[in-house]
Amino acid sequence: MASSGSAKVAPPPPPYAGAYQPQGVDEIGFWKEDDESERALANSPILIRDEALNAYVRGVLCATVGHDRCKAARVYILRTPVFQATMSPNGTLRVFSGLLLRIHNEAELGAVLGHEFGHFEKRHSIARFGAKRAGTDLLSWAAVLTAMANNSQTRASFNDLQLSIYGRLFRFSRDNEREADLLGIGYLNASTLRPQTASMIWQSQMAEAEASAAARGFKKPRFDQIAFFASHPPEAERAATLAALAAPDGANREDGADRYARAMAPWLPVFLDDQIKLNDFGASDYIIGSLARNGWTASLWLARGDLYRARGNPRDLVNAAEFYANAIAADPSLATAYRGLGLAQIKTGRLAEGRAALRHYLERKPDAPDAAMVRLLMADKEGTQ
Amino acid sequence: MQIYRLMAAALLMLAIVAPAQAQERTATKQGFTLAPNSQKRILLFRPQVRVGSQSTGGLFEPNGDWTDQARRNIDAALARRQASLGNSIVVPPDYHGEDARRVEEYSALFAAISQSVITYQFFVGNRLPTKKRDNKADIFDWSLGPGVADLPGARDADYALFLYNKDEFGSTGRKMLQIVAMMGGVGITSGVHQGYAGLVDLKTGDLLWLNADGQMGGDVRTPDGAEKRVGQLLEEFPGSIPPSPATVTP
Repeated sequence: MASSGSAKVAPPPPPYAGAYQPQGVDEIGFWKEDDESERALANSPILIRDEALNAYVRGVLCATVGHDRCKAARVYILRTPVFQATMSPNGTLRVFSGLLLRIHNEAELGAVLGHEFGHFEKRHSIARFGAKRAGTDLLSWAAVLTAMANNSQTRASFNDLQLSIYGRLFRFSRDNEREADLLGIGYLNASTLRPQTASMIWQSQMAEAEASAAARGFKKPRFDQIAFFASHPPEAERAATLAALAAPDGANREDGADRYARAMAPWLPVFLDDQIKLNDFGASDYIIGSLARNGWTASLWLARGDLYRARGNPRDLVNAAEFYANAIAADPSLATAYRGLGLAQIKTGRLAEGRAALRHYLERKPDAPDAAMVRLLMADKEGTQ
Repeated sequence: MQIYRLMAAALLMLAIVAPAQAQERTATKQGFTLAPNSQKRILLFRPQVRVGSQSTGGLFEPNGDWTDQARRNIDAALARRQASLGNSIVVPPDYHGEDARRVEEYSALFAAISQSVITYQFFVGNRLPTKKRDNKADIFDWSLGPGVADLPGARDADYALFLYNKDEFGSTGRKMLQIVAMMGGVGITSGVHQGYAGLVDLKTGDLLWLNADGQMGGDVRTPDGAEKRVGQLLEEFPGSIPPSPATVTP
């Protein structure tokens, strides 16, 4: 494949061919399955139905791929804390909340959505199915004939064949990804957003993976090698290619970071909470830190406090109490910060302060779902004095 | 590690050694009977029907046309059969929003419970000791919970019927492979025809009856075949009289 250094600027997308209808038995069949699955998705409890958020994400898609193309897509936002977006053959675009949490601006979001739209426009799913079917058909015949001949030589050549077919399938998948990257940047080059930003997604993905590995004491992951079974090209390659594909004259365009932050603000605490519950300390701390690059806010301090309190070593609780105090300093009306502060302080033996913080919590949120439990905790601690 | 997992998946896909035991079983909740001609109203939720073919390598190739035909044929056959049992099949009123979400959740719950029954109580392999004991004592005790009473249309019906059906017709390539493999003494299955049907009490949510069949007959793409298929899906449906040979077309 084209090495990262020699990639040319991604061409603008071809004229839009108009609404596409499935052709042939396979494609019609897959669309049918897809329609059924979309029907279920539309009524799924994990969907985020906030109209403002949905309209915003859709708006970024339309700004990236253009208004005629974007009519082919239905956007669904799923509350699932993974870095992921998919677009299926019939035009169902699934955006996972973990993606929205990790993205910093409209240009990055546009790059991801444009990449997915590229898969859709090039109909990669059906091509991939065809390749998989051809590969497994061949392998089945080979397996049966090998079993019939049953000598060491045929078994060895069957193993070789199996490796080469699987290797080719995964290479096919990686080439699809490269083509989708090219298309995604092509859309972005033709849009009003800054295409250079796309490469940042993979830079921060690598930094997050490193932070996650470091917190667990694992070896630093390698981002420059292609594993045999890798479905996507390595992150370092993608970061470099995307940077090279970006049109130079787009470098001065805006990336929409402010608008993005405003649109995500109501959901940020929820997304952060979901991320913290994944029990991936390094990655969560990295994400909070990267969001705080533009300044620490009350909800970021709160999230960091929750993250440290969840790990729960005595040293973490001391840190957590400090972060909660920062959150309260930034926003004195933030009830849950008092709760965290109180619980962290009680666990580190600062009973009086902890009780006072819990009292503040209940004053601000008398009908909190855990009010009874918190009262019990306060009474218990008072009783032991 | 990942390599071995994928290799294992690859071998499974080839299904060179496919377990070919017949799998069919029915159970009824203890004490539940339905007299013939009981004039019960049975609410039918959108049946899950998937029809396609099986590639030489064993992949499912969905076929939209066949799925449409099967949906139509199965719906018609179902209505005819229930009428002959003295029950009427009703479809829920048009629903959306909160109701649609509830239907989706309960359909998923029904699928999960059915799969649990099939895996842990019905078929040899993974059964739980407690469920084996239940089998001996003829206990069939599963429930979706009383929340089913809030499903759209539940107030005007007695029971809900859920259906799942998947057909993979062996492609020509698959059949050729099967024949050649047979000559070499290797067993390969061609085609998958699975389904299950369950009856749920709309007051309590209890699962009253479940029938699971891993190898059904009847070509759902034709009206006659669908008739036969629905007959097998609803085999031993409470209150049913074994159909006379005349009503079942081969």
